[in-house]
Amino acid sequence: MIEHAYLIPLIPLAASLIMLFGAKEDPHSPAPWIGIGAMAICLGLSLSILGAVMTGSVSVPYEHNWHWFSFAASIAGKPFLYDMPIGVLIDGPAALLLVVVTLVSLMVQIYSIAYMHEDTRYKRFFAFVSFFTAAMLGLVVSSNILVGFLSWELMGLSSYLLIGFWFEKDGPTEAQKKAFMTTKLGDSGLYLALLFIFAKVGSFQITQIQQFIHQGYMTPAVATVIAIGILFGAMGKSAQFPLFIWLPDAMEGPTPGSALIHAATMVAAGIFVVARLYFVFLAAPDAMLAAAWIGCATAFLAAAMALVSYDIKRVLAFSTVSQLGFMMCALGVGGYTAALFHLTTHAFFKALLFLGAGSVIHSVHTNDMRQMGGLSKKMPVTFLTMGAAILAIAGIPGTSGYFSKDMILANIYHANRPIFWIMLLTALMTAFYMSRLFILTFWGDDRDHEKYHHAHESPFLITGPLVLLAFLALVSGYMLNRNELVYRLLEKPTITATASTEAHGEEGGSAEHHEGHLPHGLHLALPLLVLGSIGLAFALYKGPKYAVADRLKTKFAPIFRVLDRRWYLDDAFDALVVLCDQVATLAYWIDTHIVDRVFVDGWGLLMRIVAEISNLLDALFVDRTVDGFGGLSLDLGVGLRGLVKDGQVQEYLMYVAIAFSLAATLILTR
Amino acid sequence: MLDQAVFYSLTILTLASALAVVLHRNTVHSSLFLGLSLAGVAGLYASLGADFLFGAQIMVYVSGIAVLVIFVVMLLGRASDLHLRQVNERWMAALLVCFVAAVGLFKVARLQSNIVATGAAHPGTHDIGRLFLGEWLLPFELTSLILLAALLGAVFFTRTENAQ
Amino acid sequence: MNAPLTLAHYMTVAGLLFLIGIFGALTRRNIIGILMSIELMFNAANINLAAFDRFLHPDGVTGQALALFVMTVAAAEIVVGLALLLAIYRGTDTVYAEDFNLLKG
Repeated sequence: MIEHAYLIPLIPLAASLIMLFGAKEDPHSPAPWIGIGAMAICLGLSLSILGAVMTGSVSVPYEHNWHWFSFAASIAGKPFLYDMPIGVLIDGPAALLLVVVTLVSLMVQIYSIAYMHEDTRYKRFFAFVSFFTAAMLGLVVSSNILVGFLSWELMGLSSYLLIGFWFEKDGPTEAQKKAFMTTKLGDSGLYLALLFIFAKVGSFQITQIQQFIHQGYMTPAVATVIAIGILFGAMGKSAQFPLFIWLPDAMEGPTPGSALIHAATMVAAGIFVVARLYFVFLAAPDAMLAAAWIGCATAFLAAAMALVSYDIKRVLAFSTVSQLGFMMCALGVGGYTAALFHLTTHAFFKALLFLGAGSVIHSVHTNDMRQMGGLSKKMPVTFLTMGAAILAIAGIPGTSGYFSKDMILANIYHANRPIFWIMLLTALMTAFYMSRLFILTFWGDDRDHEKYHHAHESPFLITGPLVLLAFLALVSGYMLNRNELVYRLLEKPTITATASTEAHGEEGGSAEHHEGHLPHGLHLALPLLVLGSIGLAFALYKGPKYAVADRLKTKFAPIFRVLDRRWYLDDAFDALVVLCDQVATLAYWIDTHIVDRVFVDGWGLLMRIVAEISNLLDALFVDRTVDGFGGLSLDLGVGLRGLVKDGQVQEYLMYVAIAFSLAATLILTR
Repeated sequence: MLDQAVFYSLTILTLASALAVVLHRNTVHSSLFLGLSLAGVAGLYASLGADFLFGAQIMVYVSGIAVLVIFVVMLLGRASDLHLRQVNERWMAALLVCFVAAVGLFKVARLQSNIVATGAAHPGTHDIGRLFLGEWLLPFELTSLILLAALLGAVFFTRTENAQ
Repeated sequence: MNAPLTLAHYMTVAGLLFLIGIFGALTRRNIIGILMSIELMFNAANINLAAFDRFLHPDGVTGQALALFVMTVAAAEIVVGLALLLAIYRGTDTVYAEDFNLLKG
C-alpha cells in the first residue's frame, strides 16, 4: 500500500477541483459526498500505511522519487545539472500524521454536512476543506522540501479562503487578511531558509539534507541561521509568539474550518516542518534554545489570555496557541517524540472541542459563554463528548492528553528547569480555563432563557464525529503509549556529527526514554494539581452569576485588561505598522525634499550647466568646422556645376562619350 | 581583287554618306544621305555573304526607317531652318573625343588584322529561320512584344488632345 | 589595295562609322539629326556582328541573328523617338536639343 502513498494528497486535490468546478452550487448538493468519499479512501490508505509501519512490514523511512525537472545550477562556483525529483517520504511521524489529518478532515467534513447545510456556498466550503487537507497531506508526504513549501503556501491560501469564507462581513475579511499577512511574514523566513539550504547542500531532498548534516558538513553557524529561518516559518504557521495574533481572529471563519485549521492542518504544519527538519535543529543548539523559549512564552501568554475570554471559540483558539507552545517548547528541549505525540493527541481533542463548540454555537446561535449555561440537559451528547475532550486537554490521568503532556513536561524538566516551572503553571492554567469554559457552557442553570429554550441536541451527523473523536481523545494516548510504541514510531533522529555532540552529548538519543518520565513525586503531584485547578474553576464559576470571579476581576482590573487586550500585542503590531508608516513618511519627505532637491535636481542642474558649456563649445568650434566642410563641398559643387551649362542633353552625352573614349583607349589598348 | 574593289567602294560610299548625314546643313538632305549610307551598309552585308541581313537591311532601314525619317523631317521642316547652323559649338570637343576613341578602336582592330575569311560564304537564311523558330524562339517572340510596345508607345505619344 | 580582306578591315569601317555617329550625336542641334546619328551607330555595331560571323564562325549564323535583333530594337527605337519628337514639337514648337532644358539644375 505504501507505494501508493503519492495518491493521498492527489485524491483530495482531485475531489476539491471536481467539487469546485464540476458541481453546481446548491444547498442540497450531493457534492460534499465526493470530498467525504475521497477522504475516506485516503483514511483507508493512511491506516494501511500506518499499520504497515507499526508492524514493521515496511522499512521506514520509505522514499520513492520520480523525475520532476532539471535545471542548471552552481554551488560554490561549480556548475552542475540539478535533477529535481518529486516524491514521497514516509517515516513514522508522517504515517501517523497522515492518519490524524485524514481522520480529522473526514470527521470535519461529515460534521459540516449538517453544520453548513443552510449556507449559500455549501459545496464551496467542502471544496476548500478538501483542498486544504490535500495541501497538508502534500506537505506530510513530500520528500522534496520545495514541494513541501509549495503545499505550505497552498495551505496559507486555503486558510485565507476558509477564514474569509463569509466574506460579506467585515470581520472575516479583516481576519483573513491578517492571517494571510502574518503567516506570510513567517513564510519569508522559511523561504530564506530553503534558499540557504539549497545554496549549502545543493538539494531540496530531505534525506540528502539529512545526509549532509549527518556527515558533519554543516557548521553550527549555518545550521543556526537555517534553523532560525525554519523556526520563523513555523512561528507564523503554528502561531507562536509573537506571530500568534492571527489565530484568535481566525475564529471568524466557519467553526468546522476552525477545527480543521486548529487540529489537523494549518498549525500542525509548522510543528511538523520543524520535526521533519529536526536534524537541522539538532545541529544548531542555539536555535533549539530559541524554540524552547518561544514555545514557553507562547504557551504561557496564550493560556493567560484564555483565562479571561468569554468567547467560547476564542478560548479554544488561545488554548490551541498554548498547546502549540507546549509542542514547540518540547521540540526546543529535544522532546521530539513528546512533541509529535502531543501533536497527535491534541489534534483529536482540539478537533473535538471545536466541533463540540460548533455544535453548541449551532444550537444557541451565540459565541458568548455568558449567555450559555446549563446546556448539559439540552445537549447530553455534546456535553459528554466535550467533557471527555476537556479531561484530555487538562491532563487527567488515563486520557490521551495526560500521556503526551506528561511526556513533554518530563522532557522539559530534564532539560531546562526555569521553563519547566513556567510550563507547569501553564498546564494548570490550561486545566483551569478549560474547566471554566465547560462550566460556563454546560453546568448550572440557564442564564439566557430564550436561548436556552431554543437550544437542542444536534443531529446525528454532528454528534457522530463527536463521539468517535471523544473515544480517540480518551484512548489514543494510552494506545500509542503502550509498549513504548510511540518511541518506536516517532523515533527521534540523531546526528553523529561532532557539531552537535558537545551540546547534546549528555542527553543523546538513548537517554530519551528516561526523559519521558518525571520524578516520582512530581509524577503523582501533577494530577492532583490539575484536579485542584479544576476545582478552583468550579468554585469560581459555579453559580449563574459567578460573583467571586467578578470580584476578582474588579480587584485585578489592570491585569484583566492587559489579558483582554491580548497583551497589547495587536496594539504593538499596530504601533509597529504606524511606526513603519511614519518612518516611510519621513523617508519620503527626506527623499522628496532633500534627496530629490539636492542630489537629483542638483545633479540635473549641474548637468545642464555642463551641457550649456558644451553647447557653446560646440557652436563655437565643432559647428564651425562642420559648417566649413559643408560650405566647402557646396562651393565645390557650385563651381563644378558652373562648368556644365543648363542641363543640355548633349552635354551629358558628351561626358558619356568622354568616359567611353577614355575607357576604350586606356583599357582596350593596355 | 574584285572583293577588295567592292569592299573599298562600298566603304567609301558608306562613310562619305555618313559624314554627309552628320555634317549637312539641310536636314532633308541629311536624311536622304542616311538612306544612302544604310544602303552602303547593306552592300557590306552582301560582301560578307549575309544574304538575309542584306535583305532585312534594305527593307527595314533603307525603305522603312530612312523613309520614316524623311517623312518626319518634312513634317517638321521649316524654311527658316535652312540658314541656321546645324552643328553646335561643341564640335571641337566632340572631334577630340572621337579622335581619342579612334586610337583605341584602331588598336583593337589591328589585333584582328591576320584573320582572313575561310571558305566561301554560303546563304544563311535557312539557318536563321531554324534558329529563330527553334532554339531562339523565346527571344524571337519577345521582340514581337517590344515591337508591340513601341507601336503602342508611338500611338500614345502622337495622340492629340482632340482625339481624346 | 591587293592585300586580302581581314576582320580588321571591317572592324575599321565599323569603328569609323560609329565615330561618325558619335560625332553627329554630340554635335547635331536638330533632334532628328541626333536620331539619325544613332542609327549610324547601330549599323556600325551590326557590321561588326556580321563580320564576326563571317570571319570567326563561318558555319554559324548567330551573329547575323543578333544583328537582326539589333535591327528590330533600332526600328522600335526610331519609331518611339520620332513619336516623342512629334509630341515635343507640338508642345514646344522647337526641334533643337539645346532648347530642351527641363533637366536644368
